[in-house]
Amino acid sequence: MSHASVVFVVDDDPSVRSSLKFLLSSVGLQVESFESAETFLQRKPPDAPSCLVLDVRLRGLSGLDFQHELAARNIRIPIVFVTGHGDIPMSVRAMKAGAIEFLTKPYRDQDLLDAVRIALEQDRARREQERDLTDLQQRFDSLTPREQEVISMVVSGMLNKQIAGELGTAENTVKVHRSRAMEKMHAQSFADLVRMIEKLKGPAKKAS
Amino acid sequence: MSHAESAAAHAEASQHIEQRWRTAFESSAIGIAMADFAGRFFAANSVFRNMLGYTESELYQLTYLDVTCEEDRKANQELVRELVEGKRQHFQIEKRYCCKDGSLFWVRNNVSLVPEMGGVAPFWFAVVEDITQRKEEESARRYTEEKYRLVVETASDAVISLDESSAILLANPATTRVFGYAPEELIGKPLTMLMPEFLRKLHETGFKRYLSTGQRHINWQGTELIGLRKNGQEFPVEVSFGELTKDGHRVFTGFIRDISERKQAEEMRKQAQKAIQTTQAELARVSRLTTMGELAASIAHEVNQPLTAVNNNSNACLRLLANQKLQPDVLRRALEEIVADGTRASAIIARIRAFIKKAPTEKNRLDVNEVIGEVLAMMGHAFEENGILLQSELAEAIPPVLGDRVQLHQVLLNLIMNGVEAMTAIIDRPRLLWVQSRIDESGDVLIAVRDSGTGLGLEADRVFTPFFTTKANGMGMGLSISRSLIEGHGGRLWASPNSPHGAVFSLTLPVADGSPS
Repeated sequence: MSHASVVFVVDDDPSVRSSLKFLLSSVGLQVESFESAETFLQRKPPDAPSCLVLDVRLRGLSGLDFQHELAARNIRIPIVFVTGHGDIPMSVRAMKAGAIEFLTKPYRDQDLLDAVRIALEQDRARREQERDLTDLQQRFDSLTPREQEVISMVVSGMLNKQIAGELGTAENTVKVHRSRAMEKMHAQSFADLVRMIEKLKGPAKKAS
Repeated sequence: MSHAESAAAHAEASQHIEQRWRTAFESSAIGIAMADFAGRFFAANSVFRNMLGYTESELYQLTYLDVTCEEDRKANQELVRELVEGKRQHFQIEKRYCCKDGSLFWVRNNVSLVPEMGGVAPFWFAVVEDITQRKEEESARRYTEEKYRLVVETASDAVISLDESSAILLANPATTRVFGYAPEELIGKPLTMLMPEFLRKLHETGFKRYLSTGQRHINWQGTELIGLRKNGQEFPVEVSFGELTKDGHRVFTGFIRDISERKQAEEMRKQAQKAIQTTQAELARVSRLTTMGELAASIAHEVNQPLTAVNNNSNACLRLLANQKLQPDVLRRALEEIVADGTRASAIIARIRAFIKKAPTEKNRLDVNEVIGEVLAMMGHAFEENGILLQSELAEAIPPVLGDRVQLHQVLLNLIMNGVEAMTAIIDRPRLLWVQSRIDESGDVLIAVRDSGTGLGLEADRVFTPFFTTKANGMGMGLSISRSLIEGHGGRLWASPNSPHGAVFSLTLPVADGSPS
């Protein structure tokens, strides 16, 4: 597990909060604890894989409301819920809203640690994916407009000759643009390039 | 006497006779008429004339056919013809006469042909009786009979008549629908073939006794019995019987109604009612337990916090220890926190106990047997559902105790429910629940709840500890709270093993002041 990962504990009961911090630290996790949702939100969003261990019954903003608040602020952090007195509708609501786990106190410590591990792994994977995509976008942005044009045509299945005809240039010029673009994109092969362009299109499509 | 004198005397005598006949003819109470061979009247007495409303001279213009109702003429002519042909000496006919005013009335005519005799031409002699009243009565009777026949034929109930030997004389078409037998399959057979075996003897002896003593063994109006169909199926029937005597023999007629559907509807209604009662009882039970349930839930939440902290701290220490990374000062701090959380948990329990003691109670003089009875009534459903045999031994004349009825309900419900739950897994012996009340050695009222369940083993003392439970879904608070409630009444609650199986929970309550103890 990455050294940089952080577990945030939000629980209004001081002894639960400190004992949770102790338990999570005992397996080598970095832990920060907060007594309320509000104090957590004051902190700058972390740059490392992280997750929340959250009590459902909090003074002030409740755990479930807090979950919605985070989603509204587009803070994508996996949540492990713990509760002293949970009912089924409550847990269903939490799980539907994307919670990793819903544990009832007193829980088995291994269950909590497993849930935290899963949450951190999920967050790490998500961050990695986002980072890859950002890199790719930067590389694509470094292409000249003509190179981007040529690459789009190549990927859509057109032959060099057809592209040359379309753009009104020599076939050789197309070949030069193409090899430069491949180099800038760090594409190992034509297939690699197609995958990269698909990746870039993917989220763009979803966003539209 | 000279010949002339004698002839005169003779003439006088025959005139007398003639006069006598004429008078008799004229004043007869019955209509008499004579008609010539062609049918024209030439003599009729006053009764006859008055029947028809004609004067003598009017009548003698008419023939018998003229005064006979058109519809009856043909039959009349036929009889006349037979008489003329010598096939009969006389005939009798019931027919309608048509009066002068056009109205009709019924008569019975006895008609004979008086043969030619001493130069006198043959003529018709009719004796006429007005039978209108009899005809009307007959018609009314026929109408009534027809009406009853129609009722019986079209009745949806089976209608069966019996003779004195209980053999079937008559069965209507509905009998087939009800019993499956065609009427002809039943005629002459004993009624018992329509009853299930167990009713036959009863019917035979009951019927015989009725015939000899007039004493009925069943109500004859709307008695519910069991019928037997041809296909062997038994079904509920409602039977009504009546009796009439004909020529010195008694005939019994019964209406037998198939009430299967009605019974089914009744059964469904009963079940629905039972379901409602069960629900109500359950509701009553739940509402009484709610206070305790809510309390337990809030206790669970409050106590779970320090318990969770204790677990977290202990587990962290164990993990560090396993990796030989546990520093003494870390351990000390963790232990301090564990102790603090343990203390906090006990404080919560203490607070709850104090709260229960402080909870406003309404103490009244109560008859514990009455309270037990109320709880057993609430639990009836649970006993039934779990196959529990209940045995209550409630001592009579128990002095009243001073207590809160609802709290005592809660405690008893809790003890009895525990007993029931302890027996649900028992399959090799009866599930017995005893509830006893008596006065104990020190003069207190003692209530004991015994079960034949799994028992408490070595844990008898621990069951009153908060959060101790032997049940999968138990909170472990029921007995702890129950003990607090009983102690709040100045009594005691304890557990001991039952012999040979199960547990006994006993509680004592002091007798209310002013009662003899």
